[in-house]
Amino acid sequence: MPGESSINLSSRGRERGFADPKALMAIRNLELRARVVVEGFWKGLHRSPYHGFSAEFTEYRQYSPGDDTRYLDWRLYARSDRYYLKRFEDETNLRCHLLVDQSRSMDYGSLGYLKSDYVRTLAATLAWFLHGQGDAVGLISFDERVRDYLPARHRHGHLRQLMLALENQPEGRETNLGEPLRRVAELARKRGLIIFLSDLLTPLDELERNLARLTAAGHEVVIFQALDPNELAFEFQRPTLFQDMESRQDVYVDPAALRSEYQSRLAGHCREAEVICQKLGAAFHRVVTDQPLELALVNFLRGRSRRNKPVRRRAQSFASS
Amino acid sequence: MAGPVLFHLIRRSARERLPFSSMMFLRPTPPRATRRRKLENIFLLLLRCLAILLLAVGFARPFFPKGNASPPPAEEGRQMVVLLDTSASMRREGLWAKAVAVARQYIAKAAPADRIAVMAFDQQPRTLVSFADWASWPVGERAALAGQRLENLSPGWKGTQLGLALTTAAEQFADEAGIGEAMGTREIALISDLQEGAKLDGLQGHGWPKGVRVILDKVDPLRRGNAGLTILDSANPNSTVGLSAKVRVTNARDSDRENFVLRWSAESGTGFTGKSVDAYLPPGQTRNILAPELSNGAVTGALKLTGDEEDFDNAAYFAALERERVVIAYFGSDSADDPNQSRYYLQRAFPETARRQVEVISTFANAVFSIETLTRAGLAVIPSGLDAAAVAGLRDWIAGGKTALLILTNAQSGATLAALAGMPQIELSEASGDYALLGEIDFTHPIFAPFADPRFSDFSRIHFWKHRRWTMPPNVQARVLAKFDDGAPALAQITIEKGSLLALFSGWTPADSQLALSSKFVPLMQTILDWSGGAESVRTQFQTGEQIPAPVATGDALQWRKPDGKIVSVAAGTPFTETDAPGIYSVMAGAELRHFALNLPLDESRTAPLSPDDFARLGVPLRGTSGLSAAKAPGAQRHLPPAELENRRKLWRWLILGLLAVALVEVVLGGWLAGRVNTLEVSA
Repeated sequence: MPGESSINLSSRGRERGFADPKALMAIRNLELRARVVVEGFWKGLHRSPYHGFSAEFTEYRQYSPGDDTRYLDWRLYARSDRYYLKRFEDETNLRCHLLVDQSRSMDYGSLGYLKSDYVRTLAATLAWFLHGQGDAVGLISFDERVRDYLPARHRHGHLRQLMLALENQPEGRETNLGEPLRRVAELARKRGLIIFLSDLLTPLDELERNLARLTAAGHEVVIFQALDPNELAFEFQRPTLFQDMESRQDVYVDPAALRSEYQSRLAGHCREAEVICQKLGAAFHRVVTDQPLELALVNFLRGRSRRNKPVRRRAQSFASS
Repeated sequence: MAGPVLFHLIRRSARERLPFSSMMFLRPTPPRATRRRKLENIFLLLLRCLAILLLAVGFARPFFPKGNASPPPAEEGRQMVVLLDTSASMRREGLWAKAVAVARQYIAKAAPADRIAVMAFDQQPRTLVSFADWASWPVGERAALAGQRLENLSPGWKGTQLGLALTTAAEQFADEAGIGEAMGTREIALISDLQEGAKLDGLQGHGWPKGVRVILDKVDPLRRGNAGLTILDSANPNSTVGLSAKVRVTNARDSDRENFVLRWSAESGTGFTGKSVDAYLPPGQTRNILAPELSNGAVTGALKLTGDEEDFDNAAYFAALERERVVIAYFGSDSADDPNQSRYYLQRAFPETARRQVEVISTFANAVFSIETLTRAGLAVIPSGLDAAAVAGLRDWIAGGKTALLILTNAQSGATLAALAGMPQIELSEASGDYALLGEIDFTHPIFAPFADPRFSDFSRIHFWKHRRWTMPPNVQARVLAKFDDGAPALAQITIEKGSLLALFSGWTPADSQLALSSKFVPLMQTILDWSGGAESVRTQFQTGEQIPAPVATGDALQWRKPDGKIVSVAAGTPFTETDAPGIYSVMAGAELRHFALNLPLDESRTAPLSPDDFARLGVPLRGTSGLSAAKAPGAQRHLPPAELENRRKLWRWLILGLLAVALVEVVLGGWLAGRVNTLEVSA
């Protein structure tokens, strides 16, 4: 179950001494939050089993005459007295686009901070991390249409601009996954990494079609689905008039009577999203907003490292399971 | 009461909105009231019900029919004054029979232990059956005997002094209590049409005796509304064409008629004469109207109002005003046309008016004093010294109750003053100095009282060029009304047996002073004439119940002729009191036939009903109506006397205190329960 894995991750995170999200969200500056997470991640990484991976490093190759001597690993030569070249997946730096959902449903939060705060911190963390590796990072924020667009760049001051763009609190409306993904396909012509951060609490009809377009264009797509713990557990007690944050529609609900039905329908929805991602080769991570952000980063990098290994047709195995 | 229960049941479905990220996985569920929830906060529910109950009882209590019921008759019997209205407004059709029937029922229902007094009232209350009469009669015959006294009773023609009647009736109980009787229920049954023209003045500020309640038994006439009229005054007494009168017409508030016609009744008594005047009067209004002219030669008349069905007050009687003739005896021979002499100014101080014609007559016929002139005079003015014969005659005249004004124009006049005052000698001296002013005035004296208002009291601008100083011996019976600024008397009143001599120590001619030329002279002379009694009453319009002053003070008995032709003999100088019906009253005053018109008080025409609140406002404790009168006043049954209301207000305080306490407990309990629910939810 996705929920179970999240809980395990969370407990593991606490053991490692990652920053408590509640304490982290108390920091007002988004850039500082991202730095804390990334530094915490590096700190935790020394004790972690995931050594030596980087965003794009793939393997060493023995030097052969004619190779560009710029990629010679001189340290390895010093140790082994042999010439090795560092091989990268792409000659250029990685181009990453962060797609951040800023619809009204992201403004829900039961922990004292909103899902949107958590997601923006996660986006900032990823941007900080990737930028630190020399990758070009861009930003697209959206609700039912694209609101902000920052092209993927790696230059001085770009990260700061990106942080400022993330800190903007646009007046979000409904979620529409189709339009932003279509727009990204148009904007990100070169192949790159597309990190999609949303709660995916919207019909998924268009997700599959537009994701397929992106993956077909050679983009690597990573999806983070951010959910509040209360959205998962639905721990309301009294019958209440619930108001849809996006449509403002009022629905009178007795949670006690509807809890199990709600949970099963939500689980079905999440599973559907996960299936779509697996089918299209996109990485799917569910983050619950009470988890340390470092764990999301770990999941992200671990997923990427797996992806760089020989591909197994996991979709088939999932289908068979 | 259903409110709290209902609210309690639907409390869970409060309309608070909880924003949630997505409704995709939710479907509406109808509100449910489970049995568990009904019983969950039963104590809170009970508290709320109790709060509502207290509030409802607090407000509803004054309207409990039981609360309004009179207490059961006490064992010792009750005391009751049956107060029957016999004013003119009770003459309206259908009223009197009902009123007497109600009074009879009270008498018939009296228990043997009860004590009943019966009083009738119009302008004055009068006792028909006293408590003592009632107690002295055999028990079985009381009702019959009291009923007999009612038989002779009928409504009169007088106004309604309801306040006086009620206070007098209430005093009956006080008289009874003084005997030492046991105090039972004490009530006044007021049987009246309760018209708004009834005067309640007597109740203002009257300390109503404790325990005495008033039962209002309002009797209703067959018809609503009424218009009436009264004569105010002669409109044109100098007219040579014909006499007319100013009439005040009033239309009651509940009237449904607006157009009336005024016409003089023919002398024969039937039909009309002369022109008519239309009067348009919306209900509730009063207007003054000029009546049509009376036919030539007539000095009396009856003005009839047509267009109003209630005819008891539709006639107003008029007697033309007769001008008062006053004679002032002037003890001087000077010409009335000489502005340097006193008479010139005296003559002009009394111009001829509609009401009064003053004639200044010299008492000297061919320079010889004539006593005949003096006997006709109301006031004597002596501008100079008199000889002994004149002084003797004048002194006797003054001693008979008359007034003379002696003007001391020179120091030699002191002898005349001494002779008139009966003193051996009076020394006068001419005052020195340029002039004197009036320094001190006794505004308490009737002559100067009209000038007491600060607007009129400034006499300081009148310069007296000459005046005579008199050092008044201490034993002189004189009152100084005004002093000069040097302390010498300016005007003194010396009493001579029944009469008075006024001595003015200066003159009013321009040689002596500015008095005659000042604005004070004419009013001062008028007040002196009025005070002297020289002017007799000339009123001809009176209201029923008023006394008519005797037109002649001395002589034989006067034969008064009443409107019904009855002749009543009244001694001269005695006012006529049998003014019990409207109409023209006539009397021979000497050789002159005098007419007096008596009319109903106009208030009797204001027949719109009084509200019980008017009584309550004046502090009269009411006990609703007995239900004996055929028609009950709307809303009177529910009306509560102020004392009872006050008692209930005291109970209210306790109810509201209880309500507050319950509300406090409810708030605390509700807050605690809500806090507990929130805590549970947070922990969940």
